[in-house]
Amino acid sequence: MYVILVYDMGQKRVGKMLKLCRRYLNWIQNSVFEGEMTEVQLKELLHEAKRIMNEEEDSLILFKNRDQRWLEKQIVGQERQSTDNFL
Amino acid sequence: MKQPKYLFNAGRMSRKDNTLKFTPVDEDGKEGTPRYLPIEQVGDLYVFGSLDANSALYNFLGQEGIAVHFFNYYEHYTGSFMPREYLLAGKMQVDQTKHYLAPKKRIEIARRFVEGAANNILRVLKYYENRTRSTPDCVDSTLLDAILTVERLLASVPTATDVPMLMGIEGNIRQTYYDTFDAIVGATFCLDGRSKRPPRNELNALISFGNMLCYTACLSTIYHTQLNPTISFLHEPGARRYSLALDIAEVFKPILVDRLIFRMINKRQLQPSDFRVEIGSCVMKEAARKRFVQGFDEQLKETIKHRVLGRSVSYRHLIKLECYKLQKHLLGVEEYRPFKAWW
Repeated sequence: MYVILVYDMGQKRVGKMLKLCRRYLNWIQNSVFEGEMTEVQLKELLHEAKRIMNEEEDSLILFKNRDQRWLEKQIVGQERQSTDNFL
Repeated sequence: MKQPKYLFNAGRMSRKDNTLKFTPVDEDGKEGTPRYLPIEQVGDLYVFGSLDANSALYNFLGQEGIAVHFFNYYEHYTGSFMPREYLLAGKMQVDQTKHYLAPKKRIEIARRFVEGAANNILRVLKYYENRTRSTPDCVDSTLLDAILTVERLLASVPTATDVPMLMGIEGNIRQTYYDTFDAIVGATFCLDGRSKRPPRNELNALISFGNMLCYTACLSTIYHTQLNPTISFLHEPGARRYSLALDIAEVFKPILVDRLIFRMINKRQLQPSDFRVEIGSCVMKEAARKRFVQGFDEQLKETIKHRVLGRSVSYRHLIKLECYKLQKHLLGVEEYRPFKAWW
């Protein structure tokens, strides 16, 4: 499953969230991640995320897609970080 | 979905916040912007450039079960960092050794590997034979002759009584096969006989490089099964090498590597200017190497509809299924039948 994850956290928690997401997905922009992951990995990620978040104030939004193919990605201006396998 | 990562750029890999941080370094030693690789999505690391790393990183990679494969300046496979075996299975190990020790059981499996390889070679040859036949001005019968020779050799596989004899047949099949390469891509490159260590010309360099990629792909797949990579059946299990990977790679080389080579050459994605001929050897230039690895990676991701399983599986997964079939054979559950391409 291909996922785009965005979050909006209070200043105190934003660093923790960043570190957590980096373990599972590719960072593409501030508070925005994307990448391929399995159901289980997503569950793990959300479980961890809920422990960090203050659900009264923070929000986390997920866009899920069956396959990367169905996603058209357009970049205007600078691509901050590419997500390919070749470095 | 774990994906392999290929590192061409020189740089430093480190453990940061329980994930991987890669800082590229340019020729002047200046550091670029770091990139974080999500640890949960990393399958293997293939290191073609120069990599700085410390033991903390390797401890972390070991803990996460990620292998690192190293290649030297001349694109040779130098070795792998393999994490501690995590799928130990004594019964499997014992059965695998037993099959190796009993000559009858061993040749049974070895024959299957040769059969699988020969069938896949035939598949490639027939495809190109069909192509040349459709161009009317071509009266070259090299491919047709080769097909007949390989078929004849394949038929003699069951008569081989020991492994060296089988290796002989296998060698003849490969020889016939390599002799047709000139007919397939002769316009741009010529093979002029297979040469290794070091490869003498462009096409030889490509074959060696491709085979090595296939070999490492098989090795890391074997690592994720319970098979022991050092006990092989067709190749003699020597010291200091993972010879089971060679056995399994044998079956997949024609469809994964050779077809890719032909395709990339015929589409002019690889040209003579992509190579650097040095004294007595030939190496691919950086950009071409990257393109080729990219092509190989795409090839592995390509899916086909599996006839028995009835669902789409990727070529990479086919290698894993091959390992499972071998396991079943060794445990006496089901007889091993090699993978044969049917398209």
